[in-house]
Amino acid sequence: MSIDDLERRVSAAKEDVEGRGETFYPGASRIHLAAFPPKERWNDWVELDSRSWPERVEKRYMLVPTTCFNCESACGLLAYVDRDSLQVRKFEGNPEHPGSRGRNCAKGPATLNQITDPDRILYPLKRAGARGEGKWERVSWDEALDDIAGRIRSCLEEDRHDEVMYHVGRPGEDGFTTRMLAAWGVDGHNSHTNVCSSGARAGYHWWMGMDRPSPDHANAQVIVLVSSHLETGHYFNPHAQRIIEGKKNGAKLIVLDTRLSNTSTHADFWLSPYPGSEPAIFLAVANWLIREKKYDRSFVRRWWNWQEYMEEVHGERDASFERFEDVLRETYAQYTFDFASSESGVEEGTLRSVAETIATAGTRLATHNWRSAGAGNLGGWQVARTLTLLNALLGALATEGGTFPNSWNKFSPRPPRLPHQHPRRWNSVLWPDAYPLGLMEMSFLMPHLMREQDAYVDVYFTRVYNPVWTNPDGFSWIEMLTDERRIGQHVALTPTWNESAYFADYVLPMGHSSERHDLTTYEQYDGQWIGFRQPVLRAARQRLGEEVHDTREVNPGEVWEENEFWIELTWRIDPDGSLGIRRFFESVERPGEKMTVDEYYGWIFENSVPGLPEAAAAEGLTPLEYMRRYGAFEVARKVGKVYEKPVDDTELEDVRVDEAGRVYTRAPVPPSPRAPGGTKIEPDAEGRRRVGVRVDGEIVRGWPTPSGKLEFWSRTLHEWGWPELAIPTYVRSHVHRQNLDADQMPLISTFRVPIQIHTRSANAKWLDEIAHTNPLWIHPSDAERLGIEATGELVRVETEIGHYVLKAWITEGIRPGVVACSHHMGRWKPEGQEGQRLGMMTVALDQDGSRWGLSRTKGGGPFPSEDPDTLRVWWTDVGVHQNLTFAVHPDPVSGMHCWHQAVRVRKAEPGDRYGDVAVDSEKSREIYGKWLEMTRSASRNSPDGTRRPYWMLRPVRPERSAYDLPETEEAGV
Amino acid sequence: MPARPESGARYRAPPVEAIRGLAVLAEPPTPEHRAVARSLGLDGPPSPAHYSDLFLFQLYPYASVHLGAEGMMGGQAAARVAGFWRALGYEPPPEPDHLAALLGLYAALCAREAGESVNAEARLLRRSRFVLLHEHLAPWIFPFLERLRELTDGPFHPWSRILESVLRRELEEGGEDDVDLEVLPAHLREAPPLADPRREGATDFLDGLLAPVRSGVLLLRADLARIAQDRELGLRAGERRYALEHLLSQDAPGVLQALAEEARRQALRHRRRCGWLGVTARFLGSRAHATVTLLGELADEESRDGAEGRTGVGASGKGGGS
Repeated sequence: MSIDDLERRVSAAKEDVEGRGETFYPGASRIHLAAFPPKERWNDWVELDSRSWPERVEKRYMLVPTTCFNCESACGLLAYVDRDSLQVRKFEGNPEHPGSRGRNCAKGPATLNQITDPDRILYPLKRAGARGEGKWERVSWDEALDDIAGRIRSCLEEDRHDEVMYHVGRPGEDGFTTRMLAAWGVDGHNSHTNVCSSGARAGYHWWMGMDRPSPDHANAQVIVLVSSHLETGHYFNPHAQRIIEGKKNGAKLIVLDTRLSNTSTHADFWLSPYPGSEPAIFLAVANWLIREKKYDRSFVRRWWNWQEYMEEVHGERDASFERFEDVLRETYAQYTFDFASSESGVEEGTLRSVAETIATAGTRLATHNWRSAGAGNLGGWQVARTLTLLNALLGALATEGGTFPNSWNKFSPRPPRLPHQHPRRWNSVLWPDAYPLGLMEMSFLMPHLMREQDAYVDVYFTRVYNPVWTNPDGFSWIEMLTDERRIGQHVALTPTWNESAYFADYVLPMGHSSERHDLTTYEQYDGQWIGFRQPVLRAARQRLGEEVHDTREVNPGEVWEENEFWIELTWRIDPDGSLGIRRFFESVERPGEKMTVDEYYGWIFENSVPGLPEAAAAEGLTPLEYMRRYGAFEVARKVGKVYEKPVDDTELEDVRVDEAGRVYTRAPVPPSPRAPGGTKIEPDAEGRRRVGVRVDGEIVRGWPTPSGKLEFWSRTLHEWGWPELAIPTYVRSHVHRQNLDADQMPLISTFRVPIQIHTRSANAKWLDEIAHTNPLWIHPSDAERLGIEATGELVRVETEIGHYVLKAWITEGIRPGVVACSHHMGRWKPEGQEGQRLGMMTVALDQDGSRWGLSRTKGGGPFPSEDPDTLRVWWTDVGVHQNLTFAVHPDPVSGMHCWHQAVRVRKAEPGDRYGDVAVDSEKSREIYGKWLEMTRSASRNSPDGTRRPYWMLRPVRPERSAYDLPETEEAGV
Repeated sequence: MPARPESGARYRAPPVEAIRGLAVLAEPPTPEHRAVARSLGLDGPPSPAHYSDLFLFQLYPYASVHLGAEGMMGGQAAARVAGFWRALGYEPPPEPDHLAALLGLYAALCAREAGESVNAEARLLRRSRFVLLHEHLAPWIFPFLERLRELTDGPFHPWSRILESVLRRELEEGGEDDVDLEVLPAHLREAPPLADPRREGATDFLDGLLAPVRSGVLLLRADLARIAQDRELGLRAGERRYALEHLLSQDAPGVLQALAEEARRQALRHRRRCGWLGVTARFLGSRAHATVTLLGELADEESRDGAEGRTGVGASGKGGGS
């Protein structure tokens, strides 16, 4: 046989075997530079037992996929289930997952620590004393469910819908709970987003109508990251691996981070700007691209809403594109490299080199901002807006190697029993008058808004969320949570103890990533995938032929999963169906019976995921069996420029094209397997829906913005009171030098460490051992000026409302004149609470009126438990809780909490002890008031008598009429 | 389009999947190997016992064993191979010089080259894979495969023939622009010659004798067993070095003579490869020839002077092998 014949033969065999969904080249092989067990042997995989070393003892495993829950990336995990004991022995990566591709960060495998945590909550608990007193009694699920359901039922029956609130930290699922709230008719979805990503989201939303970026890093020519995104940020693992791929292919990496982060160490250009000056840098780059004519004129002409801008702002209705180019040039001429250099402190020559490098990218410019500068500064939403300006100038949007909007790189399948109704009442605590453009709920202001509006929430769920610890101004949260005139019942749904759960009425144990069902889809490359989180022991037992009807049968103790919980709760709220809610949680196959999770997901996989039934059938599996076996499915790859896709003729019926080129049709929306969502574009005056835009004579899909184009100029911002900010521009941060006293410095508090989770990893011993403290990063020149002589010395950081005491870390890895402290550490439990021991200090809480103190009475350290490792804990320092000392800083436009702080750093005073926190919550109310003065309310600025632009995203969208401003608020602030 | 040789000769696409399949079979056998082996026309995969006997006890499939001055895994040769991975932008795997890893890398470079639309990039990738072939595989793989065939009639016999054919064809595909075949690979350039025990001591000599890049000879456990059997000597279990020392302590002249005969046989094999392996084969042939000469001289001296001869070789197995 010739070599070429041989090649054909091997290729054919490979194609044949892989076509059957099997592995040709075995996993643990060097030829793919990776080692994964072949999927055909996932049912019975043999490895040597590490614990039996040096004896060679074989262990047999069943490998069951699930999805990591420890950040929002939703990477694939493979649980190694011991076939003898039916216990999970370890977690590794799932090679079948399109996003993570078998690779995980440390947080994934550490799931094992979380599920075996000796202090984990195993049973429903109800408080037995005063709220916060630390006395708990075990109750049955039935008792808890009946109590909670009864209260909610009363709220709904008495038209007190806005007294039910669900406050989510880590969603980790794609729409189940928002649909549930819609079914309840409750405008009570509260998220953590305004302390996280709203700033960045708002910037993207007002450009594209979608609120997240999806950079195609692997194919980029130039990558620009604002933040330490590669190594610690959002979608860290799926993005990091693709950034490295891009670098291997020759991409240049530009990182803006005031700290020398791990990401910065990989950069070709590391810029360490003064905090908040990032938009000045991007505008200088934009100015240079415009002046040097390095931008894509055709793209700008076709896709920017420049005509609208010229007409409305410059009064030039029929301006030519060339005239617009002149205006553009003049508008941005002020943003010189010299200006950006003076704002940022980065050398002019470096900025010029960065601009020249960006110009080489063409349409392969991948950019990203998530938290970081976007979350730190007043006007931080302009970071994403000015960054996207660069993509929009180069035409690098939805191109190979460019940046995609999230919605085109994810796939949310349509579920059965989709609720069709919308809440009738507007929740003013979550969507207050002062913040009509706030991208998400004003969650972190809740204590202030509740007090200001004299509001009451009868049932308040915190779900995998810890507002006392995570949010700024945590003592105000304690004040609210312990006030039964404000919170009638607090139900904490959490897998682990946290600072907010101590102030709950019920603590209900929910599963970790291997103990619950969820469906996930996230934008991580130019493709679309779904990931399935599942209780792995349930799947393992089902593989062995057992029937499992309730996930509690396989989870430890009485730990439950949420979907079954919510279905059961809903049935108890509406046991006879008279509220019209239960029907959304009834079986499709057996009407009148409860929907099961098997049926729910089985229906989705069979009916709403294109290609999945066929892929499953090829392996002789049902779609649900396929997902239980592989854990993920790629729906599409290389989605490309959706905005340029022609609208099909079948969708063009009685078409009207308005002056701006927007195309409206009477043709109904074609059936789609996707769940509805996104922006809501108003129909035309005759009721036609918008279907696309006409560009150069062709009708194409366009962008989901009011104009159908990329909104360089935002009519929304212009008309709702912010005309000066309607184009990408520069807002001086609240920590800009001109706003600081001579002895103040900006504090960066937003950065993560790559091996911790916000508030759910204190019980992960492996992660704690790697990172367990959060010193103050301070430059040697600042340390010398302040008389701080050595790393480890105690310092006092004074904020607007109090101070905290921590250790200094003198390092050149931070810009002189700026200090930084990670928010990841400093977990605590009050004295008298049993709670969790690993990674938590015990503290004394002192309250004297509005004056609060927190002092450490016991650090971390070893303790006896069923896990012998807990006696080997060698560290006692678990960090300092700094967020307590931060006042709320709501951005008046985006609603984002602006995290950066203006602080004074001093040597610790006599009597100061490590971990001390002191705060005056009255001062925090004053600061809230100061920031409120900057707002421009709906009641004073709404152009159409509504509370909020209807087109903008909203997790649960009330009825159209609920958007109307009530007459009583006309004179509001 | 992939870059093509300047000569204008018809470009033959490298057999990427065949190379991957051959690479996989150099790994410890798993059930999946059956389909791969069959696709290569082999009766079946080797049994785990057969694999272990060949690759764990006789022939070590690591470039560093064959190209390193120490004749052992790791060391400078492995570091040089790891550096090559890094230069290509890959994170070196835990065993970067394992045969399967090197073949996998070669296949990966071929695949990248085929998918590269920029001609200059494709040419760079093409050069990279020829450098990999010339520098890190060709200097050891052909004697390795030949010796493998001498050891077994099992599935690795036809496997080694196929692999040799494939790699020879790939070498022939390389044009002048791809790699300079008359430049000695760095591993060979850097390798010191075999030490003369009469001047540099027995330890260096024995280390060098077992390092193919120094001696030009690939000595296996099987060779030592055959010598022991032919000369009715005791063979001690252990590493080759330990067994060899013990053989020499029993009959230095006879064992040295037998080793010289084996070296002569292998020198001849190297010379036969000169036509297509060029400077590499000439170098190894020359090294083997020098080994033949040295071993012959040592054998003569040991014969003349008795078991406690002046060469020191015969005493190397006594007193702990100083």
